[in-house]
Amino acid sequence: MLRPRPRGTIRLLDRLSCPVTRPQILYLQFRQFSSLPTRSAPTSSSSVQPDSDRVPLRKQLKQEAKALRAQKRQRKESEEASREIWELTVGVEIHAQLDTTAKLFSRAATSASDLPNSNVALFDLAFPGSQPEFQAATLLPALRAAIALNCDIQPVSRFDRKHYFYQDQPSGDIANPAPPEPFARNGYVDLYDYDGIAREDGERIRVDIKQVQLEQDTAKSQEYPPSSQLLDFNRVSHPLIEVITMPQIHTPATAAACVRKLQAILQACGAVTTGMELGGLRADVNVSIRRRGEAPGNNHYDGITGLGQRTEIKNLSSFKAIEDAIIAEKNRQIAVLESGGVVEGETRGWTIGSTETRRLRGKEGAVDYRYMPDPDIPPLVIGEDLISRLQDTLPTAPDQLVVELTGPEYGLSIEDAKPLIELDDGARLEYYQDVVDALHSIHPGQDDITRAALARMAGNWVLHELGGLLTKADRAWDSEIIPARSLADLVDHLQRKLITGPTAKQVLAVVFEGDHRPIPQMLEEDNLLLRPLSREEYLALAETAMAQNPQMVEQIRSKNQLGKLGWFVGQMMRTGEKGRVEAPKAEEVLRELILGKA
Amino acid sequence: MSLLREAERCLANQHAHNLNAFITPLSRSGQWLDRVKEADQRSEKGTPKSAIDGRLISIKDNICTRQLPTTCASGILDKFTSPFNATVVEQLEGAGAVIAGKTNLDEFGMGSHSVHSRFGPVKNLRRDSAGHEISAGGSSGGSAVAVAAEQCYAAIGTDTGGSVRLPAAYTGTVGFKPSYGLISRWGVVAYANSLDTVGILGTNTSNPFSTTTIPATQPVSPNPHDHEFSPSYKPPPLSTRLTSKPLRIGVPLEYNISELTPSVRTAWLLSLAHLQKQGHTIHPVSLPTTKHALSAYYVLAPAEASSNLAKYDGVRYGTRADGPDGNGQADGVLYSNTRGTGFGSEVQRRILLGTFSLSADSMDNYFIQAQRVRRLVQRDFNDVFSAQHPLFDAQAAHSDSVGAGASAGAEVDVIVCPTAPSSPPRLSDLTGDSEKSSPLDAYVNDVFTVPASLAGLPAISVPVTVAESSQDSGADAEELAGIQVVGQYGDDELVMSVGELLAGNRLGEQ
Repeated sequence: MLRPRPRGTIRLLDRLSCPVTRPQILYLQFRQFSSLPTRSAPTSSSSVQPDSDRVPLRKQLKQEAKALRAQKRQRKESEEASREIWELTVGVEIHAQLDTTAKLFSRAATSASDLPNSNVALFDLAFPGSQPEFQAATLLPALRAAIALNCDIQPVSRFDRKHYFYQDQPSGDIANPAPPEPFARNGYVDLYDYDGIAREDGERIRVDIKQVQLEQDTAKSQEYPPSSQLLDFNRVSHPLIEVITMPQIHTPATAAACVRKLQAILQACGAVTTGMELGGLRADVNVSIRRRGEAPGNNHYDGITGLGQRTEIKNLSSFKAIEDAIIAEKNRQIAVLESGGVVEGETRGWTIGSTETRRLRGKEGAVDYRYMPDPDIPPLVIGEDLISRLQDTLPTAPDQLVVELTGPEYGLSIEDAKPLIELDDGARLEYYQDVVDALHSIHPGQDDITRAALARMAGNWVLHELGGLLTKADRAWDSEIIPARSLADLVDHLQRKLITGPTAKQVLAVVFEGDHRPIPQMLEEDNLLLRPLSREEYLALAETAMAQNPQMVEQIRSKNQLGKLGWFVGQMMRTGEKGRVEAPKAEEVLRELILGKA
Repeated sequence: MSLLREAERCLANQHAHNLNAFITPLSRSGQWLDRVKEADQRSEKGTPKSAIDGRLISIKDNICTRQLPTTCASGILDKFTSPFNATVVEQLEGAGAVIAGKTNLDEFGMGSHSVHSRFGPVKNLRRDSAGHEISAGGSSGGSAVAVAAEQCYAAIGTDTGGSVRLPAAYTGTVGFKPSYGLISRWGVVAYANSLDTVGILGTNTSNPFSTTTIPATQPVSPNPHDHEFSPSYKPPPLSTRLTSKPLRIGVPLEYNISELTPSVRTAWLLSLAHLQKQGHTIHPVSLPTTKHALSAYYVLAPAEASSNLAKYDGVRYGTRADGPDGNGQADGVLYSNTRGTGFGSEVQRRILLGTFSLSADSMDNYFIQAQRVRRLVQRDFNDVFSAQHPLFDAQAAHSDSVGAGASAGAEVDVIVCPTAPSSPPRLSDLTGDSEKSSPLDAYVNDVFTVPASLAGLPAISVPVTVAESSQDSGADAEELAGIQVVGQYGDDELVMSVGELLAGNRLGEQ
């Protein structure tokens, strides 16, 4: 059973093949994993297979990669085919935990990692006689978010109560500002090609933000089958920000990009701390389709008319889940309509790894939340002065960061700028800035070109060299592993050619392992500084190498095989004193000796 | 008489009468005895903590106390003890008062006769002419009876639509509902929180007055969570903003309804005559929205109640029904069992009413409409009072004042009217399957008290006795009636002063 399929079937891939090929991929991972504890040699896994069926692993991998590409192409083609007939419309709604120390309506702390039910005020448990105490400070991150999303902030907004019964909601009602008076509305978010929007959306697409709301989180419940539920009220009343976009998105990839962008903006402006990966942000999407070129649909949402009946998919917890769920729901709706059925307005769910959305609740509007103005919480009056102060102190927006990082001052590529901004909730970028600042402070008054070169080099080291070490060691980001000053010193030495590239990498690895001596001291003590070889020494090294391989020298000379010069450079570096042979100088000497020119 | 002897007599009265005024009475012994003795020593030295130092004060059982259970007369909280003291309890104890027990009430304050209690109905100390047991009024009936039967010095109640004033009128005590928010609601179990007001009951005007001043003026900080008196919220001055002397007394013409019983009408007229005799002037005023006020109240209060009572699910505290949470169906209603058995019929009725009026289809027709009526009721009062409402912008208040002309010339200091349209009904008519026990009949008793609640105004009910010679029937129980004084927001002291002029008077036609 656990065996690669013969090549023949792979060619027969069609739309239905998705579930067929997928187990193969899973199987491979499974086999490698399961073989690890008992056999350390990777080749041993293939010996499990009977000889007659034996397929070399490399070949097998190639086949599977090919199958995967075919499947992707197939999927893309069928997506494109259906897109020509059907237009997809998606709106996004996200809930993100605001970065506040206190809860929305009590002074209890918001810390998520504490013992269950240790950060709970009487009001959080809806004790009789307790009252809400609105924590004005929670408003600041929410306002920053509204500003970063270009919203109009209402001078007066109101807290409404929303009612429903569930065990994770202690009061049976939650007080939150709800329609008709959200505290901010009419904003927008711009998505660029580098944000990962679908190709058909071009270079830029603008998605309007309908409204931004303050809400409070529910308790965490944990099921203990058959009949127990454990409730942790630490999370209750944790302030949430709810952002609702207009239904203006027409591709699954762009919907996922939109949520990713919203998360990046919310993190960059200091409104939220944790993203989707840690459960700090959840997304709902509403999905409808309509046949192109036909009379417009009868439904309208948020003032956009002519849409098909929409469904809502709740609680998507990863960007991939957003994209996959929308594709699945779109295909389900197409299948329903193509078979003559009617799409019901309902709430649906999505399980990671599944291929279909599943029905959760019936018709939209069936839940009547019975909104009521909260008599215990006065209306929120937000002054112009507060808004303008927050505007003035808002951190740089991600789009602006991209412009700056790819600009003349830093000179990074867009491929490097994006991950720098997004990695580790912005901590990587902060670290990068620290390194650049440190580089500038080492040699104040450098010219712009040198500064940019240093900044670009620092970007490479922060992202790739340091990133590689982290990946290899499977460690989480921590700015203390390599102090910013150490990395700056390293880059500085490298740039001034006081050490070689290999030495720099070697030193970085040593620091990564916990050697925290200052870099100059380490270079000195460990004798790592480059002591340049003399011309005579280079000549001697080159001549030795040439004497050992006269036929290669001849090939270079007669056939002009210049690529082989590099092999000689490598030879010189291996035979010469470690860390002292500089490749460019070695090549220069070789050219002179072999080709006779400088 | 020493404070200790007074306290012991209250305790004896608590045990002597079988009036069901208390859900949790005072224990015969305990720490409180020492506290009263210490107050006696302070009194002898002439250094009492306050006017209520060492006095027994009852607390309605919907106000949280750490030492005694707080049941709200509900099955769902029948074994509940709060982990904290209400601010008003902290303030009273800080002034030396001793909690005299927790008094019976209509469940969560919902009722006008204190019969809707898990612990049985409250009985009035008085009886009607035929010797039948009569209603003590509600929902603070237990507090009123405890005062009337001298089971305590004064009592704390809550008044949402008349719940302190109506029982005061029925029991012959004084019941004062201060301006909304004057006394902290922290620790008061919410029924309809935009209306809920802590009130005080006493046997004459001085008791409620001295008791009121404690929570109303004492700087609050025992409870750091209390917001109603945080420095940014200055309470309205308790001192009168008296503008004229003699006083201009307003008589709302719309209150002279056909349902008014002759004895109540006589008491009203004699009270007005009594005030006139003392040199004050009487002026007819119009409060045209009054006839809609009751309907508005019975939309708004149940709406808030349905929201406030949603929290009682038996999960985190309170009494939970045996068996599964839902009604057994997969998609069933959560907590139907617990809430169905925990709440009494009147509470269920109001939750259903409120759930209906807040639902999407009826919100505009009921809840929003009732809020509009509430605004009009406030405007009516602002139009007739000479004092400006301190929380209203003067210009805004007058710009939308359409019908101001009717009483423009008759701006008054206070309004005087009956507390209830009739004498207390018989308990036997209110309980069981009696035809007269329709909930609507009970709601009508609130017709005169609800307007001041909707407007958040201070109002006091004081007992007046009409001399037998002026009565046609001469029936004993018909002699006593509650007369209500209503003033502008913040005029609490003026309201109490006028109440004092009337309270306890035996009024004759001559």
